[in-house]
Amino acid sequence: MNKSILSSAIVFAITTSAFSVSSAQAEDLIFPPGEDDRFSWSSYESLKSMDLKGEKVSVFGPWLGSEKEHFDHVIAYFEAATGADVEYAGSDSFEQQIVIDTQAGSAPNVSIFPQPGLAADLAAKGLVTPLDSAVKQGVVNDYAAGQSWVDLATFKDAQGKDDFYGVFYRADLKSLVWYSPDNFDDAGYDIPETMEELKTLTQQIVSDGGTPWCIGLGSGAATGWPATDWVEDLMLRTQSPEVYDQWVKNDIPFDDPRVVNAIDEFGWFARNDTFVDGGAASVSSTDFRDSPKGLFASPAKCYMHRQASFIPAFFPEGTELGVDADFFYFPSYEAKDLGNPVLGAGTLVSITNDSKGSRAFIDFMRSPIAHELWMAQTGFISAHLKANPDLYSSEVAKKQGGILRDATTFRFDASDLMPGKIGAGAFWTGMVDYTSGKESLEVAKGIQKSWDAIK
Amino acid sequence: MVQSSKRSPLTWLVHATVLFLVVIWTIPTAGLFISSIRDKDQLSVSGWWTALSTSEQRMVTRVTVPKKPLQEDGLYVLTGNVFEDNKQGIVTRFGDSSLRPSEFESGKVAELKRELTLTVLANGDYKMTSPKAFSSRGKRIFYTAEIPPRFTLDNYREVLGSEGLGKSFLNSLTVTIPATIIPILVAAFAAYALAWMQFPGKALFIAAVVGLLVVPLQMSLIPLLRSYNFIGDIFGVGSKGYLGVWLAHMGFGLPLAIYLLRNYIAGLPREIIESARVDGATDFDIFRKIVLPLSFPALASFAIFQFLWVWNDLLIAMVFLGNNPDELVLTGRLRELLGSRGGNWEILTASAFITIIVPLCVFFGLQRFLVRGLLTGSVK
Repeated sequence: MNKSILSSAIVFAITTSAFSVSSAQAEDLIFPPGEDDRFSWSSYESLKSMDLKGEKVSVFGPWLGSEKEHFDHVIAYFEAATGADVEYAGSDSFEQQIVIDTQAGSAPNVSIFPQPGLAADLAAKGLVTPLDSAVKQGVVNDYAAGQSWVDLATFKDAQGKDDFYGVFYRADLKSLVWYSPDNFDDAGYDIPETMEELKTLTQQIVSDGGTPWCIGLGSGAATGWPATDWVEDLMLRTQSPEVYDQWVKNDIPFDDPRVVNAIDEFGWFARNDTFVDGGAASVSSTDFRDSPKGLFASPAKCYMHRQASFIPAFFPEGTELGVDADFFYFPSYEAKDLGNPVLGAGTLVSITNDSKGSRAFIDFMRSPIAHELWMAQTGFISAHLKANPDLYSSEVAKKQGGILRDATTFRFDASDLMPGKIGAGAFWTGMVDYTSGKESLEVAKGIQKSWDAIK
Repeated sequence: MVQSSKRSPLTWLVHATVLFLVVIWTIPTAGLFISSIRDKDQLSVSGWWTALSTSEQRMVTRVTVPKKPLQEDGLYVLTGNVFEDNKQGIVTRFGDSSLRPSEFESGKVAELKRELTLTVLANGDYKMTSPKAFSSRGKRIFYTAEIPPRFTLDNYREVLGSEGLGKSFLNSLTVTIPATIIPILVAAFAAYALAWMQFPGKALFIAAVVGLLVVPLQMSLIPLLRSYNFIGDIFGVGSKGYLGVWLAHMGFGLPLAIYLLRNYIAGLPREIIESARVDGATDFDIFRKIVLPLSFPALASFAIFQFLWVWNDLLIAMVFLGNNPDELVLTGRLRELLGSRGGNWEILTASAFITIIVPLCVFFGLQRFLVRGLLTGSVK
């Protein structure tokens, strides 16, 4: 009996394996080197000077699914040029696994951190390898606002000394408001240029009988994070970037009136039953992945959705960017002289297990060709100045890339920079409490209390 | 007669309660199953219970403008069907603006702005006319339609057709089968010793095993992996591999296995074991010829437990086997299909039914042992 179960299971396994396709296809070079002269092929050619035959480089990051495919295509060029063997593995529990692996001593050569805060934690334990000053200088020269990208990757090591730990590859733009151009046309609305206009438009939509916003904070264990982006964006629009930096470092307390004010600004949008689809009570229970679908419902459930550049992945199938959906910059106050601040995020590539191959891989990651190869696919924004913007796969991505390059102020997602217990904990839950009706000052005090507890 | 009429209300109550509980317990599975054969766009907008009957839905489509426009009586004409990919339904109302999506009744000719006209018939055919050429960006048609239930196997196709699934299936079996058999073997020996052999410190051993039951495995991941690294370095091999996973699963499964089996084996009739001893049987003979056959129910139920737990495990496999495509177990592969941000949950529903096949086979296979074992055990 037992035997027959096992054998039937094995037969089943073998029949299913017939479905599997060899992964060799992923290693083809999707853009033939030297052909399309918009690419910086010279930086590809210069890779060939490194001979890494037989060298194995293990790379561990957060990308899965189609993003993994895109990245595999990029890696293929590194392999073809240097002869190294790069193994990329992705995981959606990257944050937990990298901690286990580095502490236990079986770290991958290169790790791609979605949050610099996590890399800083590991660097403080001496588990990340600092990079050469040549790499640092390269980032300063090649990236838009290069010094700020260097600062974001500069952490204290185990001895408390500042060092430079990684290069940013693939940025996310957060200050975007998504909308349906057709719905705006039908109702005769114009794109707001200032925060004052945005607020007037919000009220006008309500008086016309519509619902202006779709806001959803649900995200499983991470529920609440979309609200932190709102608060950060509004912080940058009500206070100077210096105050923002002090807030991130907790040099000013979380319950400072300036921070509480930014939370209340978010409340102006999210805590008004008529402003939000489903009413304020549904904000924290709506999943952030389902929330934007309201833009495309019939009749439209809402007119606007503030979310980062990755969100089109969750638009209904067949939605064409630029036609069915578009975005505008989440505007700043005309009355406040703060320029056009941009909130963003990015993934940090660092060495967690030093080798010749991993050093070479870092050099590849900051070369223009590595950025261009993903730009020409989809879902990639780069702050690299030498990467050719003509290669963006869509007008939408090009426009986003432009916003990132031209930002008068660029600030990194605060919750990703704060200690994990705050930025990926108390801040999230605090915002859920706030949208459920708790007072902003009380919420801010609660978050500050958790911060004091870990100091 | 009197007796049965007395008993029947209670029997009815019991039956009704059992039926009620069975229904309550099956509803989530039924819902999951229905979800798994639904269209993924519908899945995200409506609940599975709405999928069973014809439902009224409001939808949008964009007309496609051909390169060469059709002309009829001096008018430009566009035709097509709102149900693009032979989805069936009956259009009841339509409109051209998001503000009034159900302004007109189907079949009527609607006069729109700029001398455009639009008709949508009940079967979904539409016709749009204009005195001027259409702009390349088509207008949107809003329509309300009665959509009959529609089921598809696309979700299953997507999961089964994904790259590397077969390999992951084999990986999962490679991990699960030894990780089920090894702990049972070890635990059976240990349980016999702890139940029927006399040696100093026996009570302490049992207490230690019970104590180990409460150690959360998450706590031991880093130290365990670190010691694997240490041992791996000595022998010059990598720390991640099947042996490591088997040992880890064995370690995490043993306390419960020993505890369960010891309790069962200790409850076997003392007379049988003592008479075997009197007849000159050694401990090994007793274990092999008497205890093992009598403990089939316990062994089988633990085997089911352990198999399910290892088969469904993701954490230990990720930590001790790694994330590389060649080493991914089934749970890891399915999670990868969900995407970086975990949006495609239609995949979850279909994959739940695909992964459940093997544990079900194991369960039904071993259940026979369970029943037979119970019968043999009842001879006293």
